[in-house]
Amino acid sequence: MGMTTRIECIFFSEFHPTLGPKITYQVPEEYISRELFDTVQVYIITKPELQNKLITVTAMGKKLIGCPVCIEHKKYSRNALLFNLGLVCDAQTNTCALEPIVKKLSGYLTTLELESGFISNEESKQKLLPILSTLLEELNATGACTLPIDESNTIHLKLIQLRKDPPIVQEYDVPVFTQCKDHFIKSQWDLTTQQILPYIDGFRHIQKISAEADVELNLVRIAVQNLLYYGVVTLVSIFQYSNVYCTTPKVQSLIDDKSVQDECLNYVTKQGQKRASLRDVFQLYCGLSPGTTVRDLCSRYSQQLQRVDERRLIQFGLMKSLIRRLQKYPVKVIRDERSRLPRLYTGCHSYDEICCKTGISYQELDERLENDPNIVVCWK
Amino acid sequence: MMFNTLARLPDDRKSMYSQSQNSVYKTGDKTSPISVILVTSGSRGNKLLFRYPFQRLAECPSSLTAKQRSPYALNTTGDGLEDQDGDSREQSPLTDEQLVAGFSDIILATILATKSDICGKKFELKIDNVRFVGHPTLLQHPPIIQVSKTDPSPKREMPTMILFNVVFALRANADPSVISCMHNLSRRIAIALQHEERRCQYLTREAKLMLAIQDEITTMTEMDGSPQSPFRQILPKCKLARDLKEAYDSLCTTGVVRLHINNWLEVSFCLPHKIHRIGGNYIPPEALERSLKAIRPYHALLLLESEKALLGQLPLDCSPAMVRLIKTCSAVKNLQQLAQDADLALLQIFQIAAHLVYWGKAIIIYPLCENNVYMLSPHANICLYSSLAEQFSQQFPGHDLPSMLAKFSLPVSLAEFRNPLEAPAQEAQLIQMVVWMLQRRLLIQLHTYVCLLVPPSEDEPGLRDEDPPLAARVGGRSLSTPSALSFGSPTSSDDMTLTSPSMDNSSAELLPGGDSPLNKRMTETLLASLSEHERQVILNIPAAQNPEDLRMFARLLHYFRGHHHLEEIMYNENMRRSQLKTLFDKFRSVLVVTSHEDPIISIFQSPME
Repeated sequence: MGMTTRIECIFFSEFHPTLGPKITYQVPEEYISRELFDTVQVYIITKPELQNKLITVTAMGKKLIGCPVCIEHKKYSRNALLFNLGLVCDAQTNTCALEPIVKKLSGYLTTLELESGFISNEESKQKLLPILSTLLEELNATGACTLPIDESNTIHLKLIQLRKDPPIVQEYDVPVFTQCKDHFIKSQWDLTTQQILPYIDGFRHIQKISAEADVELNLVRIAVQNLLYYGVVTLVSIFQYSNVYCTTPKVQSLIDDKSVQDECLNYVTKQGQKRASLRDVFQLYCGLSPGTTVRDLCSRYSQQLQRVDERRLIQFGLMKSLIRRLQKYPVKVIRDERSRLPRLYTGCHSYDEICCKTGISYQELDERLENDPNIVVCWK
Repeated sequence: MMFNTLARLPDDRKSMYSQSQNSVYKTGDKTSPISVILVTSGSRGNKLLFRYPFQRLAECPSSLTAKQRSPYALNTTGDGLEDQDGDSREQSPLTDEQLVAGFSDIILATILATKSDICGKKFELKIDNVRFVGHPTLLQHPPIIQVSKTDPSPKREMPTMILFNVVFALRANADPSVISCMHNLSRRIAIALQHEERRCQYLTREAKLMLAIQDEITTMTEMDGSPQSPFRQILPKCKLARDLKEAYDSLCTTGVVRLHINNWLEVSFCLPHKIHRIGGNYIPPEALERSLKAIRPYHALLLLESEKALLGQLPLDCSPAMVRLIKTCSAVKNLQQLAQDADLALLQIFQIAAHLVYWGKAIIIYPLCENNVYMLSPHANICLYSSLAEQFSQQFPGHDLPSMLAKFSLPVSLAEFRNPLEAPAQEAQLIQMVVWMLQRRLLIQLHTYVCLLVPPSEDEPGLRDEDPPLAARVGGRSLSTPSALSFGSPTSSDDMTLTSPSMDNSSAELLPGGDSPLNKRMTETLLASLSEHERQVILNIPAAQNPEDLRMFARLLHYFRGHHHLEEIMYNENMRRSQLKTLFDKFRSVLVVTSHEDPIISIFQSPME
């Protein structure tokens, strides 16, 4: 976990009543040069307006993240205690995941100071040095750290990598596990997800899962979106023998990349059969083209399909973007003045979506539209 | 990311994440700056000279001006976003203005006017949800003060400016490439200002003006107590303030910035994220650059605006080569032909083409010809009510876009549209329509790719690993453009000749015809990279008995990796399409053929995920 976000140094800085801003402790020692601190001290021990804000400054090839704290009280010399516990990384590092940690640490120290004068007491302040060491070591090694400070206080920290926001999940999307289902400890997931997990088989679409698992549609969508966020599932489209697919430039990776090759051949080979040959599988993928349905492929390439499960072939191809689905979009181009504006036949809604929303079957929709001279169909 | 309030779900089925379905980048907030700020540091200390947009003081939590604000007053605008655990939760996201408005002028001056040791480099500072980026610049020589000899007044000490910083404030989650672009713009403005300062103390004069107005407004406020923004008064009086405002406005809208600092030096800049947009998503600049480095002489340049419009946008002192190129280029001409017609070196053509593409004025396509096969782009906007549909009917009366697009649902070559009974004008119009659709990223072109895959031998037991395919074994023969092609770095030598390029394999040197021992040996050498089994299978093909065919096959072997399309082989080897197609057909038992878009230029029609 700590691999991508390596912390180079942890420091504790404060405003000394006579010496001014200084670094009291840093681990490893002497990491922050005098020069560097001079340049950035205005962002470490700050004016009141910037207190309690997460400040990240990049200078001299390093990134310093801190959260300046100010505690006002008559008992302190100068009536205020100013300090900042910060992290230093290389300037190229993405430090977003470290920010909650810095904030939490500043919160912890503030609480400790308010409760027991942890920092203003010279004796207990010395405990900071081993604490910083442990933090640095454990956060870099495992991305987590649990540290008892004294009898009543413990610090819990965890580096959480932020991921990209996942796309919206539609009712006609099909979730498929990217790894074997059994790898996951299901009891760790929330109840909704646990209820729908058995129905995620890479062939059922969201609407079907919702009906069969007896869970409300929107809940299923959100639960699957959550799984998407963590990279546990990916989305493919509904499988039908009338579907049309075509290859993408990525299909060449099947030839170039041995690991993709192995994964593919293992995935698509029919149960209990000898491993399919690369040539057969590649020919099958290349046989997918606009105008060719899966049914056509099966009849044309029956020999190649002897050891290959066509449904898993399509599934793998979609998951790895070796192929893409061509969807049909009906557009009503000619209409007379009196008829209503087309609601679904605008070119924005695919057959999949229309069938899902209206409940009619693909063939039925096809029949309806084929006989309508005012409607053209675009494939993309 | 676990949800705690499943009951509270909106009816319109929007999920918690309001992103579009494509996982590609979104334009909008993340690519626009929130604010532009100019600060200086000098003998008068750190000063904020100008900021835009300026605060509407009526909405400010305290109606005191920055100067009168108590240093002990709590700054409340930043709170409420974090809870005690340090988790940030966007309950009601602050508007962009509020994010930066929370910073007073004084604090901005303190944090943005940096120390001199980090001048001349990128400066980046992130505070909560705002990211500041700039290029602090040192002014080394104090301005020379001209004092008149007859002036009886005592010499006044001109306040000296040590450094200045033009800073852009962005949302913290802006893409790194956006941040880097903003830094670039800051640097360019800084260079211009530094130059003008040395030449005629431009910056000092503007700064003096700005500070004087700020002092004036503060005094006025103290007297009659009504808060005003000094920056509003500065705008009409200072050219520099207006330039900065213009930069900000342009970045937020078109992404093209064109300033004339001191009405003299031009600073031009474009934000690729705003310019290269397909639908609601932008093409990442790195992908753009990669594509541009890989273009070949057989590609063509398609202008996105009319020749006249484009020429009108060029500055007066632009390079004549650029003008010649724009006047000569056409959708049917490849870059090599363009070089000949415009009488320019091929390398120069590449550079100008890359420049035009970068500025969003052109894209790279394969030159139009009747054998080209086109299909609808997966990201094409085919909606009946789109603005594109309207534009199309205006441009081509009597035709509607969806019907035209439906014709490209299946891959179709331009030749198939040809109807001998139709007037030639119809055909010309079809070409125009195709060009129109290409310009608006509605079509992709499909190319044929070939891969050598020999049927596995049957007598081997299935446990033996198959031979790694040819693609993995044949080392990368570089067939790319001269490596000198990069943005803004002209080279002097011209490596490419204007005739068909000679490749390393010197296949052109093979003597045509004849079964000479030389040719036979060549063929053998070329086939040597294959495994024994592969060689056997190939030699057993009936077509291989013909030495000519076998030689041609062997010569083209290194193309059969699935990375070179038909047209590229035609171009490199000076062969006709029919020749190649016949060859593929003869050897079809060992070749697998597929067709898809060219990944090098497909970025212009559909952003890659």
